[in-house]
Amino acid sequence: MNSKGRSLADFRLAILAFFIFFILFIYSSLNLKNVDLGYQQHELLLAEKNLRLEIDSLQARKAELLNLERMERIAVEELGYQYPEAGQIIRVVENGNE
Amino acid sequence: MNSNRQGKKRFFVISIFFFIWIFLIAFRLFDMQVLDYTTYMAKVKAQTNRVETLHAKRGTITDRNGEILAISLLSKSAFISNKDNGLSLGVFNRFCELVALGRPQRMNIIKRIRRGEKFIWIKRKLTDEEFLKIRPLALDKETAGTIDFIDEYRRVYPQKKLASHILGGVGIDEQALGGIETSLDPEIKGRGGKLKVLIDARKKIFQFKVMEQPLTGRDIHLSIDSGLQFFVERVLAAAVERSGGAGGTIIVLDSRDGQVLAMASNPDYCPESIWSTPQPVLKNKAISFLYDPGSTFKIVLAAAALENRICGREEMFDCHNGVFTIRDRQITDVHPFARLSFEDIIVHSSNIGAAQIGRRLGKEKYFQSIQKFGFGSRTGIQLPAEENGILNPPQKWSGVSLAYLSHGYEIAVTPLQMATAFNVLASGGFFIRPEIIRDTVPGAGPARVLSAASQQRLTEILTAVVSRGTGKQAGIEGMEIAGKTGTAHKIKMGKYANSYVSSFGGFFPAQDPQVTVFVMIDEPQGLHFGGDVAAPVFKAISEKIMLYLKLFPDLPVQNEIRL
Repeated sequence: MNSKGRSLADFRLAILAFFIFFILFIYSSLNLKNVDLGYQQHELLLAEKNLRLEIDSLQARKAELLNLERMERIAVEELGYQYPEAGQIIRVVENGNE
Repeated sequence: MNSNRQGKKRFFVISIFFFIWIFLIAFRLFDMQVLDYTTYMAKVKAQTNRVETLHAKRGTITDRNGEILAISLLSKSAFISNKDNGLSLGVFNRFCELVALGRPQRMNIIKRIRRGEKFIWIKRKLTDEEFLKIRPLALDKETAGTIDFIDEYRRVYPQKKLASHILGGVGIDEQALGGIETSLDPEIKGRGGKLKVLIDARKKIFQFKVMEQPLTGRDIHLSIDSGLQFFVERVLAAAVERSGGAGGTIIVLDSRDGQVLAMASNPDYCPESIWSTPQPVLKNKAISFLYDPGSTFKIVLAAAALENRICGREEMFDCHNGVFTIRDRQITDVHPFARLSFEDIIVHSSNIGAAQIGRRLGKEKYFQSIQKFGFGSRTGIQLPAEENGILNPPQKWSGVSLAYLSHGYEIAVTPLQMATAFNVLASGGFFIRPEIIRDTVPGAGPARVLSAASQQRLTEILTAVVSRGTGKQAGIEGMEIAGKTGTAHKIKMGKYANSYVSSFGGFFPAQDPQVTVFVMIDEPQGLHFGGDVAAPVFKAISEKIMLYLKLFPDLPVQNEIRL
């Protein structure tokens, strides 16, 4: 084999090596990306779950604050409202927007 | 030349070692990846693969306006992983300083630690405050691993005692223990799921696959209005206390579609502590309390008489001046009358007059009417433990049964059955099954059990009951109310005793009914007549409902209610 033929063979070998390296590089990059996306996806899932839990918790808190017994206690004890007594007349003034 | 040979020899030796080293590595790799592949793969999987359970969340229960009545929140349950008894006892003592535990529970846990049990619950379903208090214990380096937490759902009832008998409650493992939680448990509880995850060395999940999708329980929208329910429970509790009664129930129905707007039973309880509530308190009197209805049942007799046209409008019935004997049994009237018209028999609630009408009606026709009003079988409301009631067939009736049934004895009913019967009149003569779920798919449509003419006439009579009869105390100025009082002896040890059930059922506005209300007070002390005990309760509730639903009476000044 002359030197021209040898350098062509070397060149082909280099191309093959580069190709193999390129394939391996793409494969490992995709795998790493996949793992990275897995982490991100799980974090997002956790965040979504936590948000749902927080919504539930806030809804329960809101319902507790709107507890009618609590509101009655505030109205009577803190704001001084009283229940009407027998013989009293209750007049309901409706809001014009209703 | 000599040094060149020595160099080659050195190179040869180094090459030998290098190839041996390469060979050893290659052999080890071959051993690990081919020969012992299964063993090592199992180790890898054990370290990286994990199956996590996804808990199912019970559905949320709301009222008709979307107000939350029951919701499940994720909470932490604390346990001791007991590796060293001494250390565990020390940690547990520190835990007890931070979170209150009952003495028996504390002693039990200490006993279990000393016994050397490996896993011991110390408190399940901690509140957020409790968790924040004890979290440092789990993070403490000296005690790390001794105390740990597991996620569990905790059922919360933000309105506390409100609608307790409708909601029921759940146990520590979210198992249904009563009410709607039980009757709709298969739908509310949902289904847990499974997640297969891959974790890295830091225990972080980098890949996951849902093996079984968790199914959150169905949200339930009840037909009740929590505002009305609150008023009704308040009024009932006050009435039971005032009358010294053993309890009571109030049912409010939407006259047009039979949906339950409120259903209160007294005594009540907090659903969050259902497991420690005595059994009699858990009983929903609206659907599980059986009693002889007494005079409220005369509406069924009157309806049957009108449908069968057996009484003339002006016809007078002999009321025997308050005492009438059939066979060896006496029927009495509280207020004696010589003669009464059909209307006045109902207005003044004459038992003797009712017996005369009943005898004229006959067994078969009366029995058919009673059945048409839904007595003797469950209403089918979506609540557990509903009673059928007791209605004997005519073949089993004695010689006095017809007379007794005419004024509401020898039959056992539930308050809900009575409320449904009153609603037949309020809905224009239709039997409508009561519903407690707002979005129930309607089944068979309402069945007409009373002609429009009979319904109209009976409504007039019941309006007279309130305007000039036994139900005067239920009257509200400017509002036409139709209703009927009832007072009945209770059966104790198989005999009618001197304890009573007082009731009042009615609806308003009489000519365009919107709301049907039934009140029952069990064993009132002192005054025991339905007109004295239950009718004022009906009035108190009606006033609240009128304000709440803006059903204003016909008064000279609009939008006013005189209490």
